[in-house]
Amino acid sequence: MCAGVEKIKMKLINLLGVSSALCLCATVAQAQETNKPADVDQRLKQMQEMFEQHERDLEARFEKKIAAQDEVIRSLQQRLAAMPTNPPAAPVAGAAPPANVTGAPDAVTPEKFKALDEKVDEVVAAQKKSLPSEFNPAIGLVGETIFSQQSKGSPQNGTGYPGGFDVYQRSVELMASASIDPFAKGWVVINGSADAATGETSLDVEEAALQTTSLPANLTLTAGQFFGEFGRLSYIHDHELPFVNRPLVLDQYIGGESKTAGAQANWLVPIEHYVNLTAGFGTQFGDNPDAVGSYRSFGAVNYFGRASTYFDLSDNWQLESGASWLINPDSGNVNGELAPNGLTTLTGTKRQIFGGDLKLSYVPLRDNQFNSLTWGNEVLYSDNQYRATPTGGGSAFGESVGAWGMYSYLTYKWSRSWSGGFLFEYVQNNQDNAGRTYSYSPYITWAISHWNQLRLQYTHTQPNSATGNEPNDALYLQWTWIIGAHSHGWQGR
Amino acid sequence: MKLKLCCLTLLALTLGAVQTQAAKLRVVATLTDVADLTRNVGGEFVEVRSLATGIEDTHGVPLKPSFVPLMNRADLVVLVGFDCEHAFLSALLEASRNPRIQPGKAGYVDCSKGISPLDVPKSTDHSEGDVHPYGNPHYTLDPVLMESAVKTICAALIAVAPEHEADFVKNRDAYLAKLDAKITEWQATLAPFKGTKFVSYHEHWPYFAARFGLEYYGTIELKPGIDPTPHHIEDLIASMKSEHVPLVVREPQFPEKVPALIAEKTGAKLVKLPIMPGGVPNTDTYLAEMDYIVNTIANALKK
Repeated sequence: MCAGVEKIKMKLINLLGVSSALCLCATVAQAQETNKPADVDQRLKQMQEMFEQHERDLEARFEKKIAAQDEVIRSLQQRLAAMPTNPPAAPVAGAAPPANVTGAPDAVTPEKFKALDEKVDEVVAAQKKSLPSEFNPAIGLVGETIFSQQSKGSPQNGTGYPGGFDVYQRSVELMASASIDPFAKGWVVINGSADAATGETSLDVEEAALQTTSLPANLTLTAGQFFGEFGRLSYIHDHELPFVNRPLVLDQYIGGESKTAGAQANWLVPIEHYVNLTAGFGTQFGDNPDAVGSYRSFGAVNYFGRASTYFDLSDNWQLESGASWLINPDSGNVNGELAPNGLTTLTGTKRQIFGGDLKLSYVPLRDNQFNSLTWGNEVLYSDNQYRATPTGGGSAFGESVGAWGMYSYLTYKWSRSWSGGFLFEYVQNNQDNAGRTYSYSPYITWAISHWNQLRLQYTHTQPNSATGNEPNDALYLQWTWIIGAHSHGWQGR
Repeated sequence: MKLKLCCLTLLALTLGAVQTQAAKLRVVATLTDVADLTRNVGGEFVEVRSLATGIEDTHGVPLKPSFVPLMNRADLVVLVGFDCEHAFLSALLEASRNPRIQPGKAGYVDCSKGISPLDVPKSTDHSEGDVHPYGNPHYTLDPVLMESAVKTICAALIAVAPEHEADFVKNRDAYLAKLDAKITEWQATLAPFKGTKFVSYHEHWPYFAARFGLEYYGTIELKPGIDPTPHHIEDLIASMKSEHVPLVVREPQFPEKVPALIAEKTGAKLVKLPIMPGGVPNTDTYLAEMDYIVNTIANALKK
């Protein structure tokens, strides 16, 4: 404050000096014009007196102003000292300083200023860190390695894994997702994997799709390549399954994950009870693309639909169920040998799958991160129609094969990290329903964290002779890890 | 003629009932604390449903499909914010198909707005566990900061139903007056225990500790969302003994075994404290919950 006052005084003196010099110059000039020395002296004397008086007045006004300002400062200091102060908050081990306190002003201390400065610096640093990535999509990577030991060699074990010991990098899944604009979001899932039998690696676009976010009437539309909503686990990525391998019935009837290239509409029925309806179409459904041929009509694509609902049986018990249907009126993509006659070549003409699923869960509200029980079931019925052409000659004939399969699993979680369960499977071959396979798999999972998980599973497969496979015992150790952002949204819940 | 009259009367009554119901704002609150504040400010003009019942972990509310129709019809969704609801809210918002309550819209009421967070991580690397990128979200246990949440909720209600502004403001002021009085009472109750150190299972308590002059010493969890390792438990017991930490707080949704062991080995008192209304019996409102927390701590430290 003193320095400020001195500065103002200096300015004032300079101003007066300049004013005086100007006045003197003017007076001298006038004196030269009049050429009367006595008058000049008298006038100079008057001017000097005026100047001195003026200077005294200014100084007096200035002193008065300074005194008033000092009074204001004193008053403010008194008010500040009289303000109520919060008891000083105890320092928190490893924590930042306390948050701002609405309605509870703290005493202003240099320590608090310093803490505030540090907090502001942290916030600014955080903004600098995140702002440049605001326009980038959320990116995550999932790695999944499976160590396995099969008692039988390939292809007799019927698992897709080579016989004996194997290390299989099943997937390296890169996912990126973001809003496209106010009306849609988009995502891409690129999966690098090795072929279980040959070890050859390949890069595959599993999903690349957009989904509307603002259609009216509770509708969403998905288009591109995506996992079509069919059944309960067919649109779940491998690494998110509750056990190591995709159930046999989904592998055989759908062809792994329900990958499709097409479009899907989804409608949340606007009632108080949860009912969700889906209808879509795609030029493929599952791992193997349909045969394109030279011309594809609308009759040669897959149409699928699903209705699902949910019931709160109690606060802790939940029931989720659904029914699904898939039809390809002119599939033309299934080639193989029809057993048991073994003398014909099959060409698919029509593909239909009907599915029903039911999941009963015990999810205690209080400690569901440490304790839960899930019983999941799915049954599929496959109705394939073929044109069978005798390989030895003769006229082709129509052949219809109906087959069904199911899986049922029970998973119990007894701590945040540990869970275990049992999977039972049964499937009839969808090209020859005489071929039947049973499978039994106990499994145990250790989730070290959300992003790092180990699973050990034993599987005994018991096929009949019509399948051409042999009973097999397998041990799997699956190690799954995630880096970066990872979410498959509502569908992947 | 009589039949027509009856039908018309019935129709009028039905429409009247529907209109009365429609006049209420449908609010979905994520957790019971912000639900209680909304009820207090919104009064008779709101119908508030909470996704949590109070006994859940704030990060572990089950993702039930039955929440979707609620969210679909909601005029407002009121949330704690700072990513507290990361485990369930974003998927529910996606499934709700409700443009009114999406982030950035008037119906998306983030109560953390205007609150300066503690423990903002310098890095969100997962080596630090399940960190909250915006900072510790558990400011709801600081009643002074909840005054800010009350004001945020009031402003949001006024924005969507300006015709009830006077009522909302009156309710807000009445609730803030009650809260202010309680804060003075709680501060007086805990004043004798200033500087007392305590540990808890999860990092729920830094704001509470700072407000009431206690010292938050650490967590039983190794890192947020990561279970304690034997080595961490041993270290914690040793340091608690040397620092004379007299209190172990267990949130009810976490297992009792490890906190009880630590309390036994260190001679500290073990208390079970809710982290939102309804977490333990007779704590159905925010004021009742805070009463319970303050009195339980005071009683434990007195003995």
